[in-house]
Amino acid sequence: MSNRILPLELIDKAIGSPIWILMRGQTELTGILRGFDDYVNLVLDDAVEYSPDPRDKSVVVKKELKAEILLNGNHVAVLVPGGTGPEDSMAARST
Amino acid sequence: MSSAATDDATKAPSKDGNSAPEQNKRSPSDFLKAVLGRPVNVRLSSGTDYRGVLACLDGYMNIAMEQTEEYVDGQLTSKYGDCFIRGNNGKQCLSERNFSINL
Repeated sequence: MSNRILPLELIDKAIGSPIWILMRGQTELTGILRGFDDYVNLVLDDAVEYSPDPRDKSVVVKKELKAEILLNGNHVAVLVPGGTGPEDSMAARST
Repeated sequence: MSSAATDDATKAPSKDGNSAPEQNKRSPSDFLKAVLGRPVNVRLSSGTDYRGVLACLDGYMNIAMEQTEEYVDGQLTSKYGDCFIRGNNGKQCLSERNFSINL
């Protein structure tokens, strides 16, 4: 019983460390998690956004947001505590 | 080891979340209080950006902005003195930005 972890507890443990966020659609973000609320709206530092180019969807554009951001929880699909982004996982896949 | 502590804010993640020091933890509502009246960049999930001064917002994340500039694909498309963005428009993110320096 006591070793059961609620989903939001897991996210709470990730506060202050890097997190990788997969959104509904193809957008992904990474950043340092500063906080969140019950809707899983997230506050991130040093956020980097990876989104498909509007003209050529097969190209992923990396954009450093260079500010503290609030990410609306509406489109959040998956959170990966400690994840450093799609570049790492791509590298892992190609090996 | 995996997360190199770059500043004092990232060190010593506390075991019990509730007693975390204030500077360590910033909930979305703290963030919004901090950016009220500041220049912000609001991005809808369509990719359209609205840049302006955040006048106020509510629990639906309806947003009122002043001196708003609309950017589609990074191109300035129009300007609005006052503007209201309805909360359910799939806002993706809101970032605090110092326009005078960055943009």
